[in-house]
Amino acid sequence: MTSFLAAGLLNLQWVFFAYFILISMAYLALHYVSVVTTLHYMRDNRAEYLPKIMPSYQPPISILIPAFNEEQSIVSSIHSVLRLDYPEFEVVVVNDGSTDATLARVIAEFSLHEFPEAYRQRLPTERIRAIYASPRFPRLRLVDKDNGGKSDALNAGINCIRYPLFCAIDADCILNPGSLARVVRPFLDDSTTVASGGVVRVLNGCTVKNGFLEKVELPRAILPLFQSVEYLRAFLFGRLGWSPINALLVISGAFGVFYKEHVVAVGGYRTDTVGEDMDLVVRLHRKLRREKRPYRITFVPDPICWTEVPSDLKSLRAQRTRWQRGLAESLIPNLRLLFSRRAGAVGLLAFPFMILFELLGPIVEAAGYIGMLTLWLLHMIPLQSFLVFLFLSVGMGILLSTNAIFLERLSFQMYPRVGQQLILFVVAIFENFGYRQLTAIYRLMGLAGWVFSGKARSDWGQIVRDGSWQSPDANDTTGTTAVVAATGVTAASVEKKP
Amino acid sequence: MNLLSGAAPIVQFAFLLGVAICATTLLMLLATIAMRLNGLRMERIDARAEAHWRPLLLAPATDAVGTLPRLTSRDLRGFIHIWNEAHEPLHAATTDRLAKIADSVALEDHLIRFLHTPIFHHRVMAIIALGHIKKASSFEQVLPSLDDKSPIMSLCAARSLMQIDPVRAVPKLVPLIVQRGYWSQGVVASILKESDGKLVAEPLADATLHATSDVAPRMIRFLASVHPESAAPIIREALRTASDERIISTCLQAMSNPADLDCVRPLLSHPLWYLRMQAATTLGNLGVPGDEQRLSTLLSDSQWWVRYRAAQALLKLSFISADDARRIQQSHTDAYARDIIDHVLAERTLELGS
Repeated sequence: MTSFLAAGLLNLQWVFFAYFILISMAYLALHYVSVVTTLHYMRDNRAEYLPKIMPSYQPPISILIPAFNEEQSIVSSIHSVLRLDYPEFEVVVVNDGSTDATLARVIAEFSLHEFPEAYRQRLPTERIRAIYASPRFPRLRLVDKDNGGKSDALNAGINCIRYPLFCAIDADCILNPGSLARVVRPFLDDSTTVASGGVVRVLNGCTVKNGFLEKVELPRAILPLFQSVEYLRAFLFGRLGWSPINALLVISGAFGVFYKEHVVAVGGYRTDTVGEDMDLVVRLHRKLRREKRPYRITFVPDPICWTEVPSDLKSLRAQRTRWQRGLAESLIPNLRLLFSRRAGAVGLLAFPFMILFELLGPIVEAAGYIGMLTLWLLHMIPLQSFLVFLFLSVGMGILLSTNAIFLERLSFQMYPRVGQQLILFVVAIFENFGYRQLTAIYRLMGLAGWVFSGKARSDWGQIVRDGSWQSPDANDTTGTTAVVAATGVTAASVEKKP
Repeated sequence: MNLLSGAAPIVQFAFLLGVAICATTLLMLLATIAMRLNGLRMERIDARAEAHWRPLLLAPATDAVGTLPRLTSRDLRGFIHIWNEAHEPLHAATTDRLAKIADSVALEDHLIRFLHTPIFHHRVMAIIALGHIKKASSFEQVLPSLDDKSPIMSLCAARSLMQIDPVRAVPKLVPLIVQRGYWSQGVVASILKESDGKLVAEPLADATLHATSDVAPRMIRFLASVHPESAAPIIREALRTASDERIISTCLQAMSNPADLDCVRPLLSHPLWYLRMQAATTLGNLGVPGDEQRLSTLLSDSQWWVRYRAAQALLKLSFISADDARRIQQSHTDAYARDIIDHVLAERTLELGS
C-alpha cells in the first residue's frame, strides 16, 4: 500500500509537468495570435488615415451606469460620460436602491424631475420607483428602483434604454473621450457583431482631470504595480488571442457594448451570479451557436477604460474570490458548449481552456506546490528536482509577463519610458514570488465558496479605493462638482453591500 | 550541469526548458527596449522635421512661399505628416500656397517613391498626400492601391482618386462600392459626400437599380445622402414594388418627398412591427392633415416602439398642437395609448425647457 502511494506521489510530478507544458503551450499560442492581431490592428489604426465617419452612420448608443451607494462619485462620473465625443447617445443611470445620498445628489446636480415614462418591462426586475429626466441635460435619465443587485439594475436600465446598442460601464471607470467611438467601430465594420469590449487598464498612479485621463504613470504601491503587469497579461493577450477566432468568453463588465435585442433574447443579465458579465457573453455564444446565426463577439485592443485596482489585500481577496466564483458560475451552467459540434472554437478551444486552466488552474497550482514540497520533504525527490520545477514555473511566469510587456510596446505604449519598462520587467519577476501564489489561494477560496455555499446574488463588488489618481486642482467644466470622473473619489473607503 | 549530475531525465529536460525560457525572456526584454529606443530615435527625427516645417506649412495664406530649404529624406515623414494635417479643415491653410510648396520641394516625386516602399504607414500617408496635391499624373500611381487587401489602404486610395480626378474615379469606384461590403459604410458615405453629388448620382443610381437585395439598402442610403433628388424615384419605385423588408426599411428612412406618402401609408399596417414604426416616423416628418388619424390608430399598437414613434410623429406634425394631442389621448380607451401620449408630451416639455 505504501509503495503504491509512493508510486502515485512520484507520478504526480509527471502530471504536474504535463499540465505545465500544456498550459505553457496554450498561453504561448494565445500570445502568438495576439501579436499577429496587434500588428494588424496597429498597422490600420496607427493614425487617423480615413476621413471621419459620417455621424449618421454611427449608431446611436445608450450608456448604462448602474449605481449603488455612489454618492461620492456618481456626479462626476455622469459629467465625464456626458462629455464623451460621440454624435448621438443617451445616459441612463440606475440607482439600485442606494441607502446613501446617491439619488438626491444626482437629482440636485442635474435638475432632474420625475418623468411619466411609459416603462415597459421586457426583463423582470425589482420594482421601479420612479424615472427622472432633466431639461438641462436632455441626454440623461435616472431610474430609481428597489435594491436588487448589479444585474437587476442593468436589466432595469435595458428596459428603459432607447437605442439598439448599449454600453454598460462601471461607475468607477475613467473613459477616454474617444472610447465610445472606438468600441462601437466593430459594429460598423461587421454587421454581425453582437458585442465588443476593450482593454481595461490600471488607473492607480495616473492623473485624472475633469473626468479624463491626463497623465499615465505606473502605480507607486506594490500591489497595484503587480496588477498592472497582470492586467497587461490578462487583457492584452488573454483576450486579444481569442477574438480573431470569435471565441472570446469575457467582456469586462467595466466597459462593454452589446446589441440590446440579443441580450434581451437571452434573458438579460442573470441575477443569481456574481460573474454576470462573463455569464452574459457565454450565453450569447451558446444561443447564437445553437441558432447557427453568423455573429461576432469582438475585442478592441485600445486602452479605453481605466479603473482603480485594489491596493489592499482585503479588497484584492474580495475581488479575486468574486471573479473565480463568477467564472465557475458562468462556465458550469453552460457546460453543453464544451466540445459541442456546433460551438466551433468556443466549444473546442476557449471553453476547455477556461475550465482546464482558469477554473481548475488554482487547484493544480496549489496541488503542484504542495505536492512537490511534500515529495521533497518525504525525500521522494531530490532537492534539485524541486528547485528545477520551481525554476521552470517561475521562468514561465516571467516569460508570459514579459510577452505582455512586449505586446504593450507593440501596441499603445502607454508606458513609453525605458525606465517604466524596466520597472514592469522587475515586477514581472517578483510577482512570481508571493503575489502569484497569493492570488492562487484567493482563487481557490472563490472556488470553495462556489462549491460549498449556495447560489450567489449579483452584487456590487466593492473595493476600497484611495483615489490618489485624482488631480487636486481639477474642476468640473460645469463648475459644479469636481474632479474626476469616476468613483472612489475620496480617500475614504466606501462600504457597499449587495 | 554538475548540479544536475545524476538527475532524472525529466529533471534534466525541465532544467533545459527553463534555461530556454529564461533566454527567450531576456530576448523579449531586449527586443522591447531596442524597439523603444528605435521609436524614440524616430520620434526625435519627426519632431525635428515638424519643428522645421510646421511654421512654413501652416503659415497664413497671405505669406509668400519664398525660397524653401531642401526636403531631405530624413525630414520626409514629418513633412508629409504636417502636409496632410494642413489640409484638414481645422487648419484651412490655403491649398494654393501648399501646392506651391509641394512644387518647390518636388513632393510628388518623393511621394511616388514612398508609394513603393513596403512600409504600410508610408504608403498610406503618400496616398493621402497625393490626393491633396490633385495632380492628374499621380492618378495611375495611386490606382493599384484601390485593390489592396487592406480596407484602410483601398479606402484611402478611393478618396485620393476622387480628389485627383473624380470624373475618372467614379466609374472605377462605384462598382467597387457595390462589391465591397466590407468597406466601412460611414467612410464610403463621407468620401461620396466630399465629391460633387451630381457627378456621382447617375452611376450610383444606375448601380442601385441593378443591385441585389443584399446590396440595394446601402446603395439607396448612399444615393439619398449624396443626391436626394436622384434617390427619390428609386425610393418611390422600391416602396411600390419591393418585398424585401431591408429595402423597404431603408427607403422609409431615406425618403424625403411628401409626394411618396401614398406608398408609406399602407405600411402602417405592415405585419413587421419595425416597418410600422418606421412608417409612423416618416409620416411624422412628411405627413399632411388626415394622417393624424392614421397615427392615432397606432397608439394602441402591441409594440412599444410603434406606439412611441407614432406618438412622437403625431406631435411632430406641424398642425397638431399639444392640446390636439391631449384630445386624441382622451379619445382612447386603451391605457397604453394614453400613457405613451403622456410620455411624449413630457419629453416635449423637457425639450422645450432645455
